[in-house]
Amino acid sequence: MIPPDTTSKEQSDMSTAGGLPPERPQAPPQASKAAAADKTGHAVNVKDLNAYYGAQHAIKGVTIDFPANEVTALIGPSGSGKSTVVRCINRMHEEIPGARAEGSVTLDELDIYDPNVDVTAVRRLIGMVFQKPNPFPTMSIFDNVAAGLRLTGTRSKDLKDLVHRSLQSVGLWDEVKDRLSEPGIGLSGGQQQRLCIARTVAVEPEVILMDEPASALDPISTLKIEELIDELKERYTIVIVTHNMQQAARVANSTVFMLEGEVIEHDETNKIFTNPSDERTERYVTGKFG
Amino acid sequence: MSATNAFPQISARRRRTDKVMRASLLAATIVALIPLILIIYYLIHKGLSAWTQSGFFTTDPTGSFFGSPGGIRSAILGSLEIVALATLISIPIGIGVALYLTEYGKQSWFANTVRYFVDVMTGVPSIMFGLFIYIVLVIGRFGGSGFAGWKGAVALALLMLPIVIRSSEVVLLLVPSSLREAALALGAPRWRVVFQVVLPTSATGLLTGSLLAIARGMGETAPLLFTVSTAFALTYDLNAQMNTMPFLIYTDITSPRAAIQTIAWGTALTLVVIVLILNLVARLIASRSRMA
Amino acid sequence: MQETRHQFHEQLRQLEAQALDGLDLVIQQLDRSLESISYQDVELAGMVVADDDRIDGRYLEVHQGILSLLARQAPVAGDLRIVAALLHVIRCVERMGDQCVNIAKLVPLSGYEAPKDKDILDAIERMGRLARSQVSQAKQAFAGRNVELAQDLVRQDMEINRLNREIFRRAVEVGDNLDLREWAMFMILVARCLERVGDNTVDIAEQTVFVVTGLFREFADASSPPEAATAP
Repeated sequence: MIPPDTTSKEQSDMSTAGGLPPERPQAPPQASKAAAADKTGHAVNVKDLNAYYGAQHAIKGVTIDFPANEVTALIGPSGSGKSTVVRCINRMHEEIPGARAEGSVTLDELDIYDPNVDVTAVRRLIGMVFQKPNPFPTMSIFDNVAAGLRLTGTRSKDLKDLVHRSLQSVGLWDEVKDRLSEPGIGLSGGQQQRLCIARTVAVEPEVILMDEPASALDPISTLKIEELIDELKERYTIVIVTHNMQQAARVANSTVFMLEGEVIEHDETNKIFTNPSDERTERYVTGKFG
Repeated sequence: MSATNAFPQISARRRRTDKVMRASLLAATIVALIPLILIIYYLIHKGLSAWTQSGFFTTDPTGSFFGSPGGIRSAILGSLEIVALATLISIPIGIGVALYLTEYGKQSWFANTVRYFVDVMTGVPSIMFGLFIYIVLVIGRFGGSGFAGWKGAVALALLMLPIVIRSSEVVLLLVPSSLREAALALGAPRWRVVFQVVLPTSATGLLTGSLLAIARGMGETAPLLFTVSTAFALTYDLNAQMNTMPFLIYTDITSPRAAIQTIAWGTALTLVVIVLILNLVARLIASRSRMA
Repeated sequence: MQETRHQFHEQLRQLEAQALDGLDLVIQQLDRSLESISYQDVELAGMVVADDDRIDGRYLEVHQGILSLLARQAPVAGDLRIVAALLHVIRCVERMGDQCVNIAKLVPLSGYEAPKDKDILDAIERMGRLARSQVSQAKQAFAGRNVELAQDLVRQDMEINRLNREIFRRAVEVGDNLDLREWAMFMILVARCLERVGDNTVDIAEQTVFVVTGLFREFADASSPPEAATAP
């Protein structure tokens, strides 16, 4: 009886087989959710978007699908157009003199660039958080959170309750519950940014866009914001622009790499950071340029 | 380290030049301060004696050359009425124009043209506003009167308008665009952005600018010459001639009678004090808002 | 202009060189341990055992270097795959070194003037040469990121496995001489060590393919025929 051949695996004490799971990429986490409450999710689809600053062609035929209740990150070197794409989604791009956008951007299959659409309604549904925290300086913490409602002329019967819930959902309630009437700018940088997120959340949007939300903050505040993003995606679809690749790696379900106004690669974050398909993505992500 | 000192010493010539520079700049400052101090001195010296007269603030000028010259009550109240009306006209319109320029016009050719003309208007001699109103409103007896308080108010408003526009525009531009962006991104229509975010944020600055414009308006004489003329008795009828402080100074200072000259000095002192108070209040508001 | 992260890539290159040079050490140890078997050289065997410290030292060095790189440089994508693969490679190096030591330890046990079976000895020597060439080819394949060369190792490994089975059969039929039988038993153990060296080179080949393609596929267990493995 001839003993079987051995493999080196058998002699090792460790049970790990080493390496990645087999070739087939992971099933998208969507699959399990899709059957379930899809009515709570809102997807954004950008198709053939072109955006201009005057004569400069900044975004060239970009097509990206942002799945509902997921975090999608946009990465790329400066000038790649990632912020511009995001500003086209909530139609803030056209506020810049001389700027225009063409193409299709839909929220749940509804075209937000339809000429009959009220821009302010679009922006109420698609909220935005900016790089530098910008609470309104003349308003108290309470008023800041309620500002979204007052600015859109929305009447809310239980304003206090709404403010309470918004502050709680960003993890700020315990820190400010005793000083709601103090000015919003009296908070620290990280707290101010969370206040701005609470303000955005209070108008009950469907999508939240974040343009480098943590780049002006210290590392601890950054991590708190990232945890918050992870919680928020249960209720909102999130798009985040970041120049910090580690942040995209930590936070996003899928990542889009852009270069000079075009989408180079769009895939699961895991794949982008372990085995990207495009040579340029590989070079950017490993830091060989950018 | 070498045997001699580690650092090169300042030369004697440099020292002299420094001293000469400091001395001459100090001299220039003193030269500028002297007339200022003299004005204050004269005002107080000559005007205080008028202030202590009985009835200076509570009676109207009698208008007679002989006998008691009376007080300046009608002038004070007349000035206040006219400037108040001018304020009511110029401040809202001025802030409105500034809002248009910063929020809507921005860098369009039209907005830039408006800005240019506003700049020109700040340089126009104040007498031109008076003459303009004189030709347009006074000669034609518009509104059923010749000289009238309200017409003087209009002239003053024209004078105050470019000042309000300029200072307001500066303040409005200081409002960070990130605030406007934040409001827009929340879904606010532009008019709400202006009234609920931009104006409250710039409120103290706008107020300060307005107070300074009012202070300016209180002291202007030339526009009132051809539009309001003067009166002696106290009146609240803005559609008639009224007494004003600058006009009173203008007429009384050249009077041969010393007592009447004293009245003029007293009026000047009153005017300066009012303007001073307005300036101080403006500064107080500005500094308190900065500390907040 | 220097490329960005020049220092990091330099460190990575050095780390790879350190790990792959470990394979040279293995070849040395392999040669000497086989020589000591052929000539019953106990002294040489003793040297092999002592020199294993060098391989162990190399393992620690590379391991520490990998930890440091992971902590400080946060490698991703291709760089990350290289670092992960090097962790495997250096472990394979260490195991191969241990196998050489196992072979060397068998020398004094098998007796000074033990009778030898020529066929078995030939087979052992052939296995040794094959193992040596596999280690060398594994180093070449990894360093050159050569997928074809890596996959070829599976074919060579089949030969080693065949020789292993042959030696076993010969040992069973070696006869009644007690001393000869005992010697043959030890040779079976030697053959097993060499077969394991071969398996480790196949591991390195798998890592090579992983680094290049980003996909990990186990080359078939050598007891069953390999699939027509085409690079995806």
